[in-house]
Amino acid sequence: MKVGIPRGLLFYRFYFFWKTFLEELGAEVITSPPTSRYIVQKGLTYGIEEICFPVKVFLGHVLALVDRVDLLFVPRMVSFYPGEYNCPKILGLPDIVRNLFHLSPEQIIDEEINARNRGMREAEMGLIRLGERFTSNRRKIAQALQKAEKVHREYRQQLQSGVLPETLIDGKQSLLPKEEKVLLLGHTYLLNDSYINMNVIEKINQLGYSIVTPDMVPEDRIRLFLKKVPKPSFWTISNEILGTALSYLKERDPKVKGLVHLVSFECGPDSLVGELIGRWVKKEEQSLPYLRLEIDEHTGEAGLVTRLEAFVDMMRWRDSNLESHFSPFAAS
Amino acid sequence: MRATFPHLLHLDIVLGILYPTLGVEIVPPPPITSRTIEIGVEHAPQNACFPLKVTLGNFVEGIERGADTVFMAGGVGPCRFGYYGQIQKIILEDLGYDVQFVLIDHPRFGWRPFFQALKTMAGGRFSFPRVKKAVSLAWKALVFTEELETQRRALRCQVVNRAELDMVIDGALQSLRKVESGSEFERIKKEAWSDLSALERKKENNFLKVGIVGEIYIAQETRINFQVEKLLGDLGVYVHNSVSTAQYVLNTFPVLKSKEKLEAWELARPYLKRFVGGEGIDTVGSTIRYAQEGFDGVVHLYPFTCMPEIVAKSVLTQVSRDFDLPVLHLAIDEHAGEAGLVTRVEAFVDVLERRRKYWKKAEGE
Repeated sequence: MKVGIPRGLLFYRFYFFWKTFLEELGAEVITSPPTSRYIVQKGLTYGIEEICFPVKVFLGHVLALVDRVDLLFVPRMVSFYPGEYNCPKILGLPDIVRNLFHLSPEQIIDEEINARNRGMREAEMGLIRLGERFTSNRRKIAQALQKAEKVHREYRQQLQSGVLPETLIDGKQSLLPKEEKVLLLGHTYLLNDSYINMNVIEKINQLGYSIVTPDMVPEDRIRLFLKKVPKPSFWTISNEILGTALSYLKERDPKVKGLVHLVSFECGPDSLVGELIGRWVKKEEQSLPYLRLEIDEHTGEAGLVTRLEAFVDMMRWRDSNLESHFSPFAAS
Repeated sequence: MRATFPHLLHLDIVLGILYPTLGVEIVPPPPITSRTIEIGVEHAPQNACFPLKVTLGNFVEGIERGADTVFMAGGVGPCRFGYYGQIQKIILEDLGYDVQFVLIDHPRFGWRPFFQALKTMAGGRFSFPRVKKAVSLAWKALVFTEELETQRRALRCQVVNRAELDMVIDGALQSLRKVESGSEFERIKKEAWSDLSALERKKENNFLKVGIVGEIYIAQETRINFQVEKLLGDLGVYVHNSVSTAQYVLNTFPVLKSKEKLEAWELARPYLKRFVGGEGIDTVGSTIRYAQEGFDGVVHLYPFTCMPEIVAKSVLTQVSRDFDLPVLHLAIDEHAGEAGLVTRVEAFVDVLERRRKYWKKAEGE
């Protein structure tokens, strides 16, 4: 049985988990090709105008798969961290896909995976229900699940060491490490799809900086700093962004020279979380330079490059003038 | 303590009844004007949804009037509403206002802060009989204001003199502001009903019927949605609104979930299987219910970028097709213009009229 995984949204986080799990259950996994102009354009025609850009791209990927596979894999990822949610659009994603492409329940895997109320056990129940579509042998499902979790953990560990998901998934050439770093915040589907973000990681690299993303920060550290927020947000990925930003603001890494926040226009969670980060940055003493890049289908590459270059100039200027800027006694 | 709060239709009347009994002085923010919106837009995050901006404007204007405390409610997500308070609190701090921000949040985030907020909101002392008496009258008033608005929507197309209808309802609302005792309340209520039934009606009764669905704030707050209901009524349309604050309050308690709501969720299930935050699933369910009840069309009101309503909107396209029911989507934010909105609503009503005249007739033959 051919199962299609669209390359969008949580793909870059769970690809290896899903792939291993499905393959262990005897399915043939087909992934949609990397995002291209064609896919984006198809997505724009299908998605309603107001939905955020990554969802539109996701719909383009679905269209690229829908005729080639028997089953479309769009699980309802309600939550993958206890007590938290994903964004409502991800909650409603299977329904959006189902209604747009007129899919019958047999054509789409839309089982609910929800760790919000009873934690990982509950999420595993969802995965077992999902597995029962392929086999009635519970033992086999449990084994597949175990193996998938192992692969997922290895994948996450590799991300922690600084490897980019695109390198692991598509074998894209990894970038040369640089001395200085930029903290690049944003949702996994923006940071890791180099077509949507217009190769922002490579551009930053060419300007002389390596990047740190929330995926590269240990989860314990993120959660530790998140505890200091009076009320963390409801959305797991936004929380990780929040925790990462706070950890680098409070415990400075001298190599990290600035913060870039990549947001998609229309992103609900990031409109609030981004505001919080912006205000924290302002309140911090000897703060870090902060750039917010908004991305959608209308973003021009030239504008993005100009802003990045100006930002790099600012980081350099600030670095060389830091002493005189903040110390009243330094010679001017 | 002088407390201010956000506007939501007639919430100021209800709280005006509730708080004097509890011994808290309240400072209602001035009615929402373009200045309120300007203040909100200036200080709130650019891409935040519109209710956050308007309520922020309310707070600032309330504080300008002399309030030193702000009352706000929180939530559990995944809709952004539950996070409004956190953002607004920081914005007010950064603006340099020295106010106490009392945020009543879900007990999920701790019972202690919940009870503390409840205690502050109940005037410091928590005496059960006193609170019960105040709340029961305020609750009755809330339900009554909503009934009045329901009547206004339904009767607008039917009465001969619309100004008279507005006079009766606005008069009743005005006298509610001064109400102190239960007997007085009952008298006002009785008077309003008899006045309403005395209004002269038109002879015909074959009105177009339009239902309103959408996000609770935009679908109700007439000062924000350009009085869509009034506009439809003036065009001779019978209007029903599926959104209600009283229902919303009841439904926050799992035990009190109304049958209506559960039914709407059940109806929505073939299209949207799950709660997606806010009123997303209710929007879908209510639209289907309107289709089944033989309404001619549905107007969907929501703030621009509202996450749950966008999910609902994606799904509504299919609902509209399946039930052959026209749906007009109106996204409202600070850039919405009245003229454009009026034109769209008028065109929508024209469509409904033509459909009734030609298509429905063809079906009947």
